Amino acid sequence: MGGAPVRVVLISSHSGHYTGGVKEFEIEARTLLDVIRVLDRRYPGLGEHLEEETSVAIDGEIHEVAYFHPVHPGSEIYFIPKIEGG
Amino acid sequence: MDTKVIKPEAEGRGDRTLKIVGTSPVRPDGVPKVTGLARYGADYALPGMLWGAILRSPHAHARIRSIDSSKASALPGVKAVITSADFPEQKYEFVGPERVAINFWHMTRNVMAREKVLYEGHALAAVAATSKIIAEAALRLIEVDYEVLPHVIDVDEAMQPGAPLLFEDMITRGIDPPPNEASNIAKRIEFSIGDLDAGFAAADEIVEMNFKTAPVHQGYIEPHACLARFDNKGQGEIWAASQGHFVVRAFTARLLDMNIGDVLVHPAEIGGGFGGKTVIYVEPLAAALSRKSGHPVKIMMSREDVFKATGPTSGASMTVRIGVKRDGKLVAADGVFKFQAGAFPGSPVMNATMCGFAPYNIPNVRSVGYDVVCNRPKSAAYRAPGSPISAYAVESVMDAVAAKIGMDPLQFRLVNACRTGTPTVWGPKHAHDGCAETLKALLAHPAYAAPLGRNQGRGVASGFWFNNGGESSATVHVNEDGTVVVATGSMDIGGSRASMAIMAAETLGIEYEDVRAIVADTASIGYTHVTGGSRVTYATGIAVVEACRKVITELCARAAMIWSVEKDQVSWEDGSARRAGAGKHEPLSLKAIAAKRALTGGPIGAEASVNAGGAAPGFASELCDVEVDTETGSVKILRFVVAQDVGRAIHRSYVEGQMEGGAVQGIGWALNEAYVYDDAGHLLNAGFLDYRIPVASDLPMIETVLVEVPNPNHPFGAKGAGEVNIVPVMAAVANAINNAIGRRMTELPMSPPKVLAAIHTAPGK
Amino acid sequence: MAKHHVSATLNGNDVEFLCETQQTLLEVLRDELHHTGTKEGCGTGDCGACSVTLDGRLVCSCLVLGVEARGKSIQTIEGMAEGTSLHPLQRKFLEHAALQCGVCTPGILIAARSLLERNPDPSEEEVRFWLAGNLCRCTGYNKIIEAVLDAAREMRGG
Repeated sequence: MGGAPVRVVLISSHSGHYTGGVKEFEIEARTLLDVIRVLDRRYPGLGEHLEEETSVAIDGEIHEVAYFHPVHPGSEIYFIPKIEGG
Repeated sequence: MDTKVIKPEAEGRGDRTLKIVGTSPVRPDGVPKVTGLARYGADYALPGMLWGAILRSPHAHARIRSIDSSKASALPGVKAVITSADFPEQKYEFVGPERVAINFWHMTRNVMAREKVLYEGHALAAVAATSKIIAEAALRLIEVDYEVLPHVIDVDEAMQPGAPLLFEDMITRGIDPPPNEASNIAKRIEFSIGDLDAGFAAADEIVEMNFKTAPVHQGYIEPHACLARFDNKGQGEIWAASQGHFVVRAFTARLLDMNIGDVLVHPAEIGGGFGGKTVIYVEPLAAALSRKSGHPVKIMMSREDVFKATGPTSGASMTVRIGVKRDGKLVAADGVFKFQAGAFPGSPVMNATMCGFAPYNIPNVRSVGYDVVCNRPKSAAYRAPGSPISAYAVESVMDAVAAKIGMDPLQFRLVNACRTGTPTVWGPKHAHDGCAETLKALLAHPAYAAPLGRNQGRGVASGFWFNNGGESSATVHVNEDGTVVVATGSMDIGGSRASMAIMAAETLGIEYEDVRAIVADTASIGYTHVTGGSRVTYATGIAVVEACRKVITELCARAAMIWSVEKDQVSWEDGSARRAGAGKHEPLSLKAIAAKRALTGGPIGAEASVNAGGAAPGFASELCDVEVDTETGSVKILRFVVAQDVGRAIHRSYVEGQMEGGAVQGIGWALNEAYVYDDAGHLLNAGFLDYRIPVASDLPMIETVLVEVPNPNHPFGAKGAGEVNIVPVMAAVANAINNAIGRRMTELPMSPPKVLAAIHTAPGK
Repeated sequence: MAKHHVSATLNGNDVEFLCETQQTLLEVLRDELHHTGTKEGCGTGDCGACSVTLDGRLVCSCLVLGVEARGKSIQTIEGMAEGTSLHPLQRKFLEHAALQCGVCTPGILIAARSLLERNPDPSEEEVRFWLAGNLCRCTGYNKIIEAVLDAAREMRGG
């Protein structure tokens, strides 16, 4: 894929159960789907947790987790708890 | 009244071409609403319809030993009686894909109590009969054997060891390793950045205060109501007022163990929601009664039911500590927020922990939340859920800190205001501006320099709310005469049909009057999430614009066919197809192309469905002037100014209306509204006489300043505008009272007895 | 027990209905006469959503029994426009965006008309106090007050 990897941070406290407490990762990815696949391969079950129970901030912009979001070399990706709306 | 629009100089998006966006045309659904013909949840009827009525618990906490409904069933005119036995058990798990993790084990118990009743007013049986009077009479014939249990109302008491437990086996989530003992604490949440101890060690001044807030009800004027028609083939329809008919469909289907596609929900007009109609209460009961009786069933809640059995927002107990350098730079902040969830887990405490410190650049922050169950109705979302509660504490302490270092409270906030790139306590950096712009707008407002009289005071406060995006669907159809119908799946709670029509007309380049916007039922449009979280103008707006763009592509293709040219030779401008570089062809208007639709391929229309991300957050800064009557403790609001970043106002008057309405709801929260319980856990003020929401004579004209820092992720720059306006209100009022009488009001509501008591105690720090 | 037979006029038309003793005028209007423009917000006379006039007097129809309407003239929101021509208050409410959800609007329009019949030139404060019995949770009242004052101005010919 080339270029600098993206930085991924897990904020949701439940995420740590899958990773043994590891919260930060550097991953080569072009889309959010790549990010989720890499993490799920490393920590089976983490992918579904991220898809179902978190939102994501990509360079500060908050999105619902969706595969199509592009990520860029050097991007900061935070999986955060889902925001409860009113 | 006094409305200003402020556009920052460095505006990224030119608005030179906008013709309709930002104006205030009459809403498409207006006439039926001023002539009494609009149909709300309670206004539907069907032939053969029965009336449903609900039996509610007289106890705050009791085990249900038995329910005997045989006498009720035998009453002439009674066609069905249901209890929890008519609903399948649900698995105990927290699940998506809604934004909030939902536990259907809890939801089915809230809709209809099973083992225990957990609050006064908790539903435990329902009856359908040929008249309201018979249904009510049947309820009195249902015999329930209760084992009354000790109860707990207050959040601090509910957290104590030995407190009566609502769920005997509930272990707190979010603590590693999990505690051994069950408690009423459903969840603990913590966010932190930096080094808290080092931050406070570096502070020149530190202020710490404790706060309590009362739960307050959304107070929508329309009680929950619905009509359901279900048949024994397992299909049914519901007419309901809600903030999301797709959510009503999903939840009702789940609780009745039906396929989602077998339930059709028609969007009735909704008489206010403010978050409180994002969940279900009466719909599954009416559906189950209809399924059992074979007749349509209508249920209307009374106002007393609404107060006793539907969601208020949480009351809270909070401690906030803030450290600052003498030059005004914030260095550390710590908050502990304990929220009453009501009878089932799920208070908005997470939002509170995330939003409280969000307006500011603070390098070292910890924000801790507890979600605590107690014997009150289950809390539901209320306008920027959670954020106004933590903001009351944080913004009160901010005011005290500013006073301590002798800084102007707005300048103090401006020095520390977050901007694009400022870290947040939940991890990522802010991606949008807006906070500083609202503060500058308030600093420049004449109200900030206006003189004050005796016993008068001025307070300011700021607030943050995420605003939501998410899933929305829209269709755009060109009619035979060239007018356009826009349908979306978003319930219209405050004029959104008008904003959708504006965005469609602007995109297509046609007149607003040529666009009719409607809300489609769940079978006629794609899934659309609730009208809440200030998401509709943003996310559904994006879907509308995308659908319009698809229609434009098709219109250009039809024009190309008419002109016998390649599609790429045609462009769309000002509502007409134009042929590139050729003067000999007159433009083809939308109406002209619509007239040739059959000749060129048939009807023209498009659907767009999105999962919209990038909804920029909202910021508001507000000013309040009060006068305190030192004999009675009564507080009069003299002046109130809301400066809010709305990105870009689509329908100006309805954006102002959101800001005015949010401010007034906050004023009620600040001064009057509270649930009053007796020692037995009975709610004593379950009516609008004693639960007093603001009335017209309590208020001045609310002044609004629309700050427009456009959101580049929306075609017209819109940000959600519905919620953040309520966030700063309680703190602004409290700070104004402090300015008037020199007393920090740390408990809501700031009602006359409390203000009087404060006046008669020695001044604090 | 037999129901009561009641004759009255509703928006100028003769009506007859049967009602139970305990049925309120609000229930009769909505459930028996199918005039659902009058809304129930509280059922205890606190919110004003069910405002109607009875022989010209502004009342909460939830606090009036159906039988009390016997021989009286009932005016509801459905009778406010003349044919397709909206009352100036109705028009001004739309122009000023004085409604968001709209469920309080019928009651407020009826109450406001009642005010302007008595006082064609009310001050802002007089409008605020007259409408203090009509709750609105959406708007913060600004635009409602502005619409009433503007309608009054127009009706005075100013």
